[in-house]
Amino acid sequence: MKQTTSPRTRKKLIVFLILAGILIAVSLLAPQLCPNDPNATSASMMNHPPCAEYPFGTDRYGRCICSRVLMGARTSIFSAVSLVAITFAAGTALGMLAGWFGGAVDAVVMRLADVMLAFPQMVIAIAVAGILGGGMGNAMLAMGITGWTLYARLARAQVLALKEEPYVHAARLSGCGAGSILLKTLLPNILGPLVVNAATQIGVMMIGIAGLSFLGIGVTEPQAEWGSMINLSRSYIQLAPWAVLAPAGATVITVMIFNYLGDCVRDYLDVGVEQ
Amino acid sequence: MGKYIVKRLLHLVWIMLAVSFLTYLLMYLAPGDAAMKKLYAHGVAVSDEVLERTRERMGLLRPFLEQYGNWVLNALRLDLGVSFKDGFSVADKLAKGMSYTAVLTLSSLILSLVVSLPLAVLTALKKNSVLDYFIRFCSFVGNSLPNFLISVLLMYYLCVRARLLPVVADGSVRGLILPCLALFIPICGRFIRQFRAEILEQLGKPYVAAAVTRGVKRRYILRNVLHNASIPILTVVGLSIGTLLGGSVVIETIFRWPGLGKLAMDAITNRDYPVIQGFVLFTSTIYVLINLLTDISYRWIDPRLRQQ
Amino acid sequence: MKKRNLLALLLALCMLLALAACGTNSQPQPDAQAQPEADTQAEASAEPKVLRLAESFAYPSLDAHKDYYGWYTSIYGMSETLFRVADDLSIQPLLAKSYTVSDDGKTWNIELADASFSNGTALTAEMVIRNLQRLAEVNERMAYLSDFSFEAAGDKAFSITTPEVYPTMLSDLSAPEFAIMELDATTDFDNAPICTGPFVLKSFEPEGTVEVVKNTAYWNGEVKLDGAVFYYMQDDETKLNAMQAGDIDGYTSVTAAAKEIYGADPATYTLTEIPATRLQFYVLNKTRLSDKVREAINLTVDNSAMAAFLSGTVSPAVGPFGASAPYGKVTKNAPDAAKAKAALEADGYTLGADGVYEKDGAPLSVNICYYAARSLDTIAVLMQEQLKNVGIDATLTVQEDPDATYIATGDYDIALYCMIADKAGDPYYAVDALYRQSCKWAQAGFPTAESEALINELQYETDTAKRAQLANKIVQMTIDDNAFGYVGLFNKTTVTAKGVSGIAENCPFDFYGVSAATDTNR
Repeated sequence: MKQTTSPRTRKKLIVFLILAGILIAVSLLAPQLCPNDPNATSASMMNHPPCAEYPFGTDRYGRCICSRVLMGARTSIFSAVSLVAITFAAGTALGMLAGWFGGAVDAVVMRLADVMLAFPQMVIAIAVAGILGGGMGNAMLAMGITGWTLYARLARAQVLALKEEPYVHAARLSGCGAGSILLKTLLPNILGPLVVNAATQIGVMMIGIAGLSFLGIGVTEPQAEWGSMINLSRSYIQLAPWAVLAPAGATVITVMIFNYLGDCVRDYLDVGVEQ
Repeated sequence: MGKYIVKRLLHLVWIMLAVSFLTYLLMYLAPGDAAMKKLYAHGVAVSDEVLERTRERMGLLRPFLEQYGNWVLNALRLDLGVSFKDGFSVADKLAKGMSYTAVLTLSSLILSLVVSLPLAVLTALKKNSVLDYFIRFCSFVGNSLPNFLISVLLMYYLCVRARLLPVVADGSVRGLILPCLALFIPICGRFIRQFRAEILEQLGKPYVAAAVTRGVKRRYILRNVLHNASIPILTVVGLSIGTLLGGSVVIETIFRWPGLGKLAMDAITNRDYPVIQGFVLFTSTIYVLINLLTDISYRWIDPRLRQQ
Repeated sequence: MKKRNLLALLLALCMLLALAACGTNSQPQPDAQAQPEADTQAEASAEPKVLRLAESFAYPSLDAHKDYYGWYTSIYGMSETLFRVADDLSIQPLLAKSYTVSDDGKTWNIELADASFSNGTALTAEMVIRNLQRLAEVNERMAYLSDFSFEAAGDKAFSITTPEVYPTMLSDLSAPEFAIMELDATTDFDNAPICTGPFVLKSFEPEGTVEVVKNTAYWNGEVKLDGAVFYYMQDDETKLNAMQAGDIDGYTSVTAAAKEIYGADPATYTLTEIPATRLQFYVLNKTRLSDKVREAINLTVDNSAMAAFLSGTVSPAVGPFGASAPYGKVTKNAPDAAKAKAALEADGYTLGADGVYEKDGAPLSVNICYYAARSLDTIAVLMQEQLKNVGIDATLTVQEDPDATYIATGDYDIALYCMIADKAGDPYYAVDALYRQSCKWAQAGFPTAESEALINELQYETDTAKRAQLANKIVQMTIDDNAFGYVGLFNKTTVTAKGVSGIAENCPFDFYGVSAATDTNR
């Protein structure tokens, strides 16, 4: 079944890996790249259109949007990527354990996943924000509580499918322990679809975290985050469209790059994606 | 098959209990309660005495387990209780929200299917053509747009600038157009991408190559391909129905569409426990039923699975 | 293949450009459509005069006695009260004709006007008393009415006797919850209450659109409009768009952004802005911040600058009440960074290398708690910035529910809050809610035996001038003690289409709307 991947697919993958790398680099170097102090307000420069000093204009507090978009890259991209990484690791581990051991372990993990999936995210978000307070960490927690289930279900299904393969039997007969089989034999074989899903989830998580700032749950002011920037300037869309378009454009472009990266990884590994 | 369905439905009861308990617990632990939310609604200061009396009348001073237990006992008798906020029947509120959400969901889903299926087939067949790139790019953009941005732009350009549609359009078909479009754009983008991938995967299978060499008409090959791609497509559609039925709060607020998402959001901010519980029961049922239906349809489409 | 890629990219770019072009010229232009529309309006003058308004709240019931539903039946022009608060905050009789108070101040004799309900039944004293009794029963906030005794004196007069002197009786009777309904003929209070107002219900969709029509038998003069429709619109952009599209004729609580848009087109829109009674303020926690630090904070916070950022939707406040009211005569220091720094230095703080004051190696850092509503988020951000410029580090904590979190626990250095400070032209309600030993702000440490004694005096004082004096004295104490900071009083901003008048745009309260005088020439 495995086809040899064409050089084109490979080239595309490299291009998008580089693009994603640039985004991550920008987010890491943001403080050095900012043209202005991202938090400095100015009553005389409220809703100022783009100019030489403020390349993307200013928001309703007179803050430099360009600087805030750059600083926001750090919050938005970093939080989305780390959230995906954590849910990916936790979900995969739980799913593999469930698939491998079956029985009670399987029942507990999968029932938990079912409950989490049937749970309205808003309830979790409000409860987390109320009990633990606002802030980025808690917003990520609210997203993560349901996020792991995707990987758990996928990993479990893959392990169940591969469990009876001859090479797994061979590993078992050669006296390998469960941990060693799961990590060394099964994980490399099921990683493909999981990674593809993770790559596509980065965009989903970014939009999700941005959505939470509608509830005031995401970041606390004055920390810049794209979702809360859009939300803040939403009512000024007719007067100062740049204040919405800059962070919205940044979000759309970033989500697109990560989505496309996901596609490239899929094409490269030649595996399907489950949504 | 019958046994299978019964087993899955029993599963539903378990999920409902777990989800409703966790919801009640989380909302109980979250600061603020219905009495406070109701009395402070207009920014008028209210004395502690009034607050305590209101809490007592609402039964909020009773221990947590007693409150939840009462709710379960009533729910078993199919009585979902009345809203803390206004004393109206929770069942009625849900039914009303449900009807609005169903209309919106189904119309945007059907529109998405009608548009995305042919486009997905087209892009898959003309893979790597300019058309393919263009449609894929559009679907990418659509899928990456935050939905409130779509809503705000649609409303401004179609209603205010072009005056094609009224901003105020109560419950009429014309009022449905904008929220339906706002929901349709991202879903359609996602559908095209996913359908295209599934169809391409089928097209890459040996049976297609074999059929092509045998000189089978394209029409027949395509029919086979679509039949085989229908399982993953159904999964995608099934899962998005679940998401859509939960309602999109933002779209419902902007377009004044009194659906479930808005109902739930208002209930959560008002700590209106009975309504939240009713909503959670509803979403968990939908979730389990949709999973069940997709599983059954797999068996129906793919006879091999029936033996398992 | 390369070429195709390029072509696709070009197509995509074109699309993006088209989008961007749409974005940049989105400034409202003098509308070309306005002209033909005016013509069609003139032609349709034979059509009924129906006003279309947008409201930010919608309730599931029209029972004026319950919850805050009475605010809305009053806005819809359906229900009326015995007295009403006029635009200048004076209390005027409405369903009442006149009143007298007994010498001991405990008995109020009220004579009723010749009013009648929309079904033709005349208003009687017995009906009014039953309304007040029902209100006490169904509304927790008005449960205190059950301590009063009511007695009818014939058909058109009655008396209220209170156990203690009750100086704010008339303000209370003006509150919209004190609406008088026809209790006998009304069968469905939630959906079809019979009241005395200039409009009667035509259709009611719970939590949705409400339609009213002229009460042809209105007891208090001719009603100019034929009817009105109230649409429920929560979202500010929706209201703006509906107004721009000409789908509605007006609404109140215009946002700063929308205000700028309407202001740019005075030929189409009329903006009315008046000082109102919703107060933004902060409480300084005396148990955590020293006298000098609180003084420095109050000397730093520049509420005029904040009002400028809010585009004039709020007016800078000195105390909790409007400066024009007799009970709004208080003074405070102008913001002064040098004095603020001097206060900190007098307290033993020294300016650290990072520009933040410190004492014993610990930087001066305060925690500002707020919630993201009523522009408090803007104020929090600006306050943090202003404090930073003087050398005080501030962290922001946002909560979804302020009452159950920082206010309940007292876990704050500075707490931001917003509430209605003046319900009906009297200071006692706010003084009671803000400065009492029993109030929710007491744990921040302001109340003293002296302030409590003054508040008790205010509670039972019947002379209006003396009430104002007492209130001024108490509020001045809170300012001198640097226990509170008063940031702004929201203005009530109303936008109407040209030719629409009388939707309570000159009234500082939120609970009045259409009346018999409301008119439109559209």
